[in-house]
Amino acid sequence: MSRGSGAGYDRHITIFSPEGRLYQVEYAFKAVKSAGVTSIGVRGKDSVCVVTQKKVPDKLLDDTSITHLFSITKYTGLLATGLTADARSLVSQARNEAAEFRKKWGYEMPVDVLAKWIADKAQIYTQHAYMRPLGVVAMVLGYDEEKNAQLFKCDPAGHFFGHKATSAGLKEQEAINFLEKKMKDSPQFSYDETVQIAISALQSVLQEDFKATEIEGRCCEERRPC
Amino acid sequence: WATASTPSPSPPSGLCSPPPPPPLSIGSDQVRCRGFDLTFPPISLQPVGEAGADRARAHGRRISGQTSLGIKAANGVVIATEKKLPSILVDETSVQKIQSLTPNIGVVYSGMGPDFRVLVRKSRKQAQQYYRLYKETIPVTQLVRETAAVMQEFTQSGGVRPFGVSLLIAGYDDNGPQLYQVDPSGSYFSWKASAMGKNVSNAKTFLEKRYTEDMELDDAIHTAILTLKEGYEGQISANNIEIGVIRADREFKYVYKVNYAVFTAT
Repeated sequence: MSRGSGAGYDRHITIFSPEGRLYQVEYAFKAVKSAGVTSIGVRGKDSVCVVTQKKVPDKLLDDTSITHLFSITKYTGLLATGLTADARSLVSQARNEAAEFRKKWGYEMPVDVLAKWIADKAQIYTQHAYMRPLGVVAMVLGYDEEKNAQLFKCDPAGHFFGHKATSAGLKEQEAINFLEKKMKDSPQFSYDETVQIAISALQSVLQEDFKATEIEGRCCEERRPC
Repeated sequence: WATASTPSPSPPSGLCSPPPPPPLSIGSDQVRCRGFDLTFPPISLQPVGEAGADRARAHGRRISGQTSLGIKAANGVVIATEKKLPSILVDETSVQKIQSLTPNIGVVYSGMGPDFRVLVRKSRKQAQQYYRLYKETIPVTQLVRETAAVMQEFTQSGGVRPFGVSLLIAGYDDNGPQLYQVDPSGSYFSWKASAMGKNVSNAKTFLEKRYTEDMELDDAIHTAILTLKEGYEGQISANNIEIGVIRADREFKYVYKVNYAVFTAT
């Protein structure tokens, strides 16, 4: 008599529950929060900046090896919030994809095309039972020749949007509230303002001042490698 | 004729070829069924004949997608949808819910965006393959049939879930203007006017009252906007809806500039 419970698999693989939910995808979002790190991304007039916390759990760890920021190409970066192992796997595949794109088509993979590729891959994991969704929210940033500064966020559900500013991780909602107030009138930030907004957003949300060693960030600007 | 606007990388292979088998039971002779062994839970038939497809269809309706609708006029088709973004921080130019499948066929959806992208990509490829084979642009009915067949496959194959979208496909070909709705189960029907998503029952009632057989396309656009306005939570404006039309010139186009009086009229 389990007409309502769907044979019980709906929590273990990505099939629909009776209410039309995908539990595995929802759990993936929780996994992103479980990393305990918050990230912020802000897009200015012709620059993009992302910052994230750098939490080194053990003093014996070599902190140069701990990072959530990755280059996909010289001109495109990716900030991965969530499970680091999944992040590395995603980055590795994205790097391969971007390199193949460059070889095949003769120009650098645009940021939005890369974001779409990442999101489409995430969608496959939500539809096919053999792989679980990745517990990573990826913020892809770069400078596009035609569309200027770009910031995209891709999540485990396969959604991706371009953003003027966004956040991911533990204090995502508070950060978005803060950023919405700042971006209300669609201001066009300069490079320095973009960086300032990103860092102050992180500070206000986590309610502490940072030393330089406790956060890491990356900026992309016109015609400069990221 | 049909050139891709952006050369896109080939879709991740997981979608097109049998995926590698999951690391399951050791030592047994695993019978391959579309690349999966039968120990893997497939979509099963529920008691009393309620097949996975039924649930998919039910979910397609219950999935609280944003309302979208389509109206077939005498000289064209219009499709429209509300475009509610999760935050004002989202760059609305990066989101396009209405897409064209060929120059003369457009599509809108209600449901899960990522699933929609997959179907759009697949349909575009199918349309192109048809042209390559027959040297003729694909008729609307054929594209609808092939898209629906993909959706049905995912309700019957093992190890996958159905697509969580309903599609409204609008096109103009030698058979005139056409509007089809495809459900997650893969069943499709031709409609004179239809709606999908959250507000479907109110929207359909509204459309039933307003629809006439000899409607002109401009009236249809007006009616579409009014129908969206009916169920819209909040202030409707040109920035938070999307409209696509196709006329007798057989070119699917977006409608960007609309007479604002429509929004304030009752």
